[in-house]
Amino acid sequence: MEKAIRTLFYFGPLLFAFGFIAPLVAQTITALDLLPPFGLSPLHAGLIISALMGIPAQFRGSWI
Amino acid sequence: MSTTQDLSSLSDANLMRLEREIARKHIDKFPYFAVIWAFTNLACWLALWPLVFTGVIPLWLAFIVATFNVMLCYLPSHEAQHDIIAKPGARLRWLNQAVGHLSTIPLVLPYRVAKLTHMEHHKHANHHELDPDISSSASGPLASLWTTFTSNQPRAKGGFNAYADTLERIGRPEVVFDGVIYNIIFYFTLFGLAWSGFAIEAALLWWLPRWIALFYIRYYLSWAPHHPAKEQSRYRNTRSFRSILGNIGSMGMQYHIIHHLHPRIPLYRTPMAYWEMKPILEARGAEVGEL
Repeated sequence: MEKAIRTLFYFGPLLFAFGFIAPLVAQTITALDLLPPFGLSPLHAGLIISALMGIPAQFRGSWI
Repeated sequence: MSTTQDLSSLSDANLMRLEREIARKHIDKFPYFAVIWAFTNLACWLALWPLVFTGVIPLWLAFIVATFNVMLCYLPSHEAQHDIIAKPGARLRWLNQAVGHLSTIPLVLPYRVAKLTHMEHHKHANHHELDPDISSSASGPLASLWTTFTSNQPRAKGGFNAYADTLERIGRPEVVFDGVIYNIIFYFTLFGLAWSGFAIEAALLWWLPRWIALFYIRYYLSWAPHHPAKEQSRYRNTRSFRSILGNIGSMGMQYHIIHHLHPRIPLYRTPMAYWEMKPILEARGAEVGEL
């Protein structure tokens, strides 16, 4: 149990990126009526942005 | 006692006697306002969710209200942490504990974590290894805000992460579990709302207000009253200060020195106690020049 919780928290930045930032970016794009580049859907754009933020945060242990 | 009286010729024992006489007048007063504040504030924040989802109030307005709710949620719990509402064994003890547990839900701060680490803060204020809030210390106001941001990063050593270390050190590791549960509920609520199409609502009703509240609370409850956080003695580990937002805008923290000297004085009585005690504080060499 403890190991599972530690693992969950260890991957916190990635979970937050894909669990929250991705849909937040997608819904913000839709709400602001923006057009993502390269014909991407808002959700694809959200997933790419969240990966660009979350993967470095996961390795650094920090969002900045 | 006049607030301009010079008491520097009195002995330590006489100064302590006078200080205790003043403190006694303010202790054991029931903090009605803090109790009402705790439940009203929580009810208001909870009500925002259905009000926004049903379109009764616009999200921008709810965001402003939610931000104030989260900023204001800590202090009633703080009164409970010091048993100010009711001491252990008292008839209203349940109310003390209810305020403590419920009021900080928007901040995602469990009561037992807050209480145990806050007691350590009082015991070791400004100690660079033992004060769980020492990560708030910074060279100035902007540095303090930046420190709040950096010390609350996922694998940072300060902020709420320092609380887990403190709980381990004092032999209460089981309380870390409270924080784990609170965080799992918080983040999975955000994830659930976000993937259900309510990411912006989740961000503006909870996630962003919590961050703004963290900046505000760490600034006014931790950095400002302890700055420069260099000394640890009873009369020098905190201070009085003049806030540009006034005493209400700084959540009563201008008189924080009274709280550290006599933690069971309710927040609303600290200004009165301060002005009565000021000559004693001056005689003791406390930093009370700004106010």
